[in-house]
Amino acid sequence: MTQPSEPPHRVRVTAPRTAARATGASFPVAREMAEQSELGQLFVASLIRSQLRLALVVAGGFLVILMGIPVLLAVFPDIESMTVLTVPLPWLILGLGVYPLVIGCAILYVRSASRNERRFQDLVDDD
Amino acid sequence: MTDALDAGSLHLTPAVGYTALLLVALSTVLIGIYGLRISRTTGDFYVASRTVRPWWNASAIGGEYLSAASFLGVAGLILISGVDALWFPIGYTAGYLMLLLFVAAPLRRSGAYTIPDFAQARLDSLLVRRVTSMLVVIVGWLYIVPQLHGAALTVQITTGLPSWVGPLAVVVVVCLSVVTGGMRSITFVQAFQYWLKLTALAVPAVFILFRLGAEGASITAGGSVFTTDLNTTAHASLYGTISLVIALLFGTLGLPHVLVRFYTNPDGASARWTTVLVLGLLSVFYLFPTVYGILGRIHTPELAAGGAADATVLLLPGRIFDGATGDLLSALVTAGAFAAFLSTTSGLVVSLAGVISQEFFQGSVTGFRRAALLSTIVPLVIALLTDTLALAGSVGSVFAFTASTICPLLLLGIWWRGLTDAGAIAGMAVGAILCGGAITATAALGAGAGDRWVWLGQPALWTVPAAFLTMVLVSRATAGRRPTTASRVLARLHTPEPR
Repeated sequence: MTQPSEPPHRVRVTAPRTAARATGASFPVAREMAEQSELGQLFVASLIRSQLRLALVVAGGFLVILMGIPVLLAVFPDIESMTVLTVPLPWLILGLGVYPLVIGCAILYVRSASRNERRFQDLVDDD
Repeated sequence: MTDALDAGSLHLTPAVGYTALLLVALSTVLIGIYGLRISRTTGDFYVASRTVRPWWNASAIGGEYLSAASFLGVAGLILISGVDALWFPIGYTAGYLMLLLFVAAPLRRSGAYTIPDFAQARLDSLLVRRVTSMLVVIVGWLYIVPQLHGAALTVQITTGLPSWVGPLAVVVVVCLSVVTGGMRSITFVQAFQYWLKLTALAVPAVFILFRLGAEGASITAGGSVFTTDLNTTAHASLYGTISLVIALLFGTLGLPHVLVRFYTNPDGASARWTTVLVLGLLSVFYLFPTVYGILGRIHTPELAAGGAADATVLLLPGRIFDGATGDLLSALVTAGAFAAFLSTTSGLVVSLAGVISQEFFQGSVTGFRRAALLSTIVPLVIALLTDTLALAGSVGSVFAFTASTICPLLLLGIWWRGLTDAGAIAGMAVGAILCGGAITATAALGAGAGDRWVWLGQPALWTVPAAFLTMVLVSRATAGRRPTTASRVLARLHTPEPR
């Protein structure tokens, strides 16, 4: 960081047309190790697998519930005549009910994904 | 549509419209200048961006994302097709859930600023970069067109000026601010736009609900607002609904202006929390277009028959309130609508100009300005030559196109080390041809095509799997072309930053 006394000079920000920026940056030792050692690669592969599994489980669960709504409505059209305070049930579910479900899934995912990453970091630090 | 609008009764007091439009343009420019000063005193652009808190960042993402389709289109669609329309806001919101699950943190860690950057870094191929750039530009152009249609409608209704004035005004304001640098990806402006849009819908909605409540009238007219008799479109089929939801869920993560915003998060973990906040902000926002749509079914039903359903939000406050209160509330929703076109269009133009200038003008500053002009003029011409469609619907087909092209590239690129350049190009080509063909064919068939053609009108359910399948099969067949850097790039995408 620059000293607070001197005004920070302007830096031209560009996105170069090479992969250099993505691969040339310096990375922490733990990360380099994880990338290069055989054991580290194993850890990384297992981290990616567990993150993918987590994402697929949450997405799958969400999609099954979400797609279940139109299927249920198509199979049991009587649901449309059920009302709460004059509002039909489908309007309530689609207008209000889905959003807490979306946010709930999101929080569940972020918690679990961060836990996976913490476990990985503990492994790499011990190594 | 013009028939309904020419009737004159739909016009608001022109002075209201002019004032609202001028105020938004002025405040956008002022905050742009103020924000620019902040970003200069904080040091260079990157440092300023990296200190942005998730809360500001989330507001900015919401501000850029909530477009004409959200602000006007959702209520309009509820007016004409009732409960089926509620799938649109669900899809627009849940798209960010998919973004969170599969893309947010890895993409932030990739260090890529645009989707072509990511494609090149991941697959180590200039050709993939070219193809991706082309698709991003097409998606951006197609996405700007409905914004300009929305501007045409809004300006025509609020001021009575001819319909070409609106798109032209948006393009001029966006070009000026992008070219002079006043709106250079500044988080501050976009964050302000979110809260402006929310206020512009929420305040009149609360006023209207209180007024109706005080009059003792049942707000839902005893539930008769919800009857399907008020719909002017046929009930959506199960296939149509599911295909639409797939398009919206998986289209969001390929939109060019969405990715850029994630780069201003300091690390992968905060990119995730930002996305959770975005989900909250979008959920709150979409309550209000729904309220407008439902109320419009009783108070402005003639708009559905006249083909001007998208004007519901603009005209409803004036129907409930007379005199000064009505004018003020109308001015507020008009301002919010204009903010929606401006913020989404400028977000798209900035990211498109970035891609075009790197690809064709060697990334120079003059090149960026020329690219900005190019990325607004093409959609302007398209918008002026085509008729306004239902806003939510035409944005829906852009989502289907993105879901069939850029989404497979991102998902397989991030999660599967077996992806090759040949596979990526083949998959994107198949997705683009199938989905683009379906959209063109639907446009050629016209609105009265009927239920038999719903698989063409909502193509995502078969074009997205086709694109994924092609990408996987061709990658398998060309396994020798796997980039040697694949393992290293994947490790970088998924390993957390140091504590």
